[in-house]
Formats: sequence, structure tokens, C-alpha cells
Amino acid sequence: MARLANRVAVQLFRRLPWLGDLWAARRSFVEGGGIPWAPLRRPLAQCTVSLVTTAGVHVTGDTPFDMRDRTGDATFRVIPIGTPAAAMTITHDYYDHSAADRDINVVLPVDRLREAHTAGRVGGVGPRMYSFMGHVNGRHVKTLLEVTAPQVARQLVEDGADAVVMTPA
Amino acid sequence: MGLVQRAVEAAGIPTVGVTLNRSVTARVRPPRAVFLRYPFGHPMGEPLAVAQQTAILEDLLRTLETAGPGTIVEPGYIWKRHRFA
Repeated sequence: MARLANRVAVQLFRRLPWLGDLWAARRSFVEGGGIPWAPLRRPLAQCTVSLVTTAGVHVTGDTPFDMRDRTGDATFRVIPIGTPAAAMTITHDYYDHSAADRDINVVLPVDRLREAHTAGRVGGVGPRMYSFMGHVNGRHVKTLLEVTAPQVARQLVEDGADAVVMTPA
Repeated sequence: MGLVQRAVEAAGIPTVGVTLNRSVTARVRPPRAVFLRYPFGHPMGEPLAVAQQTAILEDLLRTLETAGPGTIVEPGYIWKRHRFA
């Protein structure tokens, strides 16, 4: 029943964009103070670029994101860069992912980034993509801030990422 | 998403993100963002629209190259109306 109510809400939010602003105005966020800043160290043509999404994508067969906990899920999944689109799925009840189900590039532009690499626009593509399920509330915010987001940041450093492109749901 | 972006940037890696909700982004303050007035679930545009997705990725890459802290770039594409090459 809760999932059905979600499906209705998701369609409303998709069709009435001003609802998103209303929702944003009424809830609290962890607001940024200073803006962290890391300059691009070399031309993009020499940079390894990695992808991170919060659209709830994961490898089919991997543990799905938790849709029963109404406060969300702060965990992440790793998607190896060579994973075919047919081996990826989305677990995320809080947005309409029918477009992304048809073409994963709608939320995770992996084919476009590989083309940019082929064209020499970027120097390389990170070996792993990282995916969260963007619905993170309550106690999960602390987990995200203190555990899982820093963990992904460390893994990106290990991956040799020089820049990261992020996509929401 | 902005919180993850801020964590990655804080680890020393420059980041850029798509945002579909400007008011959230203005409050979370990620380092660099590209704002699209697109429906939720479509940060890179429409399915199988390669030219559109390529243009948005290029906007993101150019923002990485040129933007200063807290920049929100707005390409101004109109959903399903803008003609991508």
C-alpha cells in the first residue's frame, strides 16, 4: 500500500515540477556552509573521469536498495564499468524510472562518457561506477555523511579518478 | 546527491552534478552544478536521445573546466522542445 501511494506521488512530482519546489521549501536539508573545492589539475583530455549516481542503479542480482525502510537507505553499490546495460536494474520507488529502464544513460551516462573517451575529450573512464538510492532521511543522513559518502570518495581516489560526474534521479 | 558530491570534492577530486531542483541545490551548495528544467528521473534527458545526452555531458565537462566554486550553470534547454544537433 505504501508503495502504491509512492507511485502516485512519483507521478505527481514528475508532472507538476512546482511540487518539487514546494517539497524542498518545507523540509530541512543538511545545508552546505563553505563549498569544498578541488581544482581540475590537468586538461580533461588527460583526466580519468568517473561516474556516481543517486538514481538507485545496481547490478541485477546485487542486493537491492531497501524500499521497506521509509527513511531510506544510505548504502551504495559498485557497478564495474564494463557491465552491460542489460545486467543493470533500478531499485528506487521514489521516482518514475521508466525512461531509465529503457536507456540507462538517462540517469547514468556511461555510453556517452565512453564515447567522450573514444573522441579524446576525456583521458579515461573510471573502472567502477558508484550508485546510491537518493532517498536518505533520518538516521541514514548521518550514515551517509560519516560512513558511505566518505567511503565512496576514498574508493574514487583509489580508482585514480581525476574528476567525477554525478547524476541524480 | 549534493552531500555525496561535497564529500568527493572534499577528498580532492573535482566534481560536477546535474540538478533538476534549483532550490535544493542552492541550499546544499555543491561545488559545481548544471541545472536543467527537466522532469525528475531525466537528468540526462530523454531515452535513446544520443545527441541530447551528449550535449548535456559536454555541458557538464565544460562546467568542470570553467566554473568557480558554487556555480550553477543553466543551459536553458526546454524539455522535448529544444533541438539538439
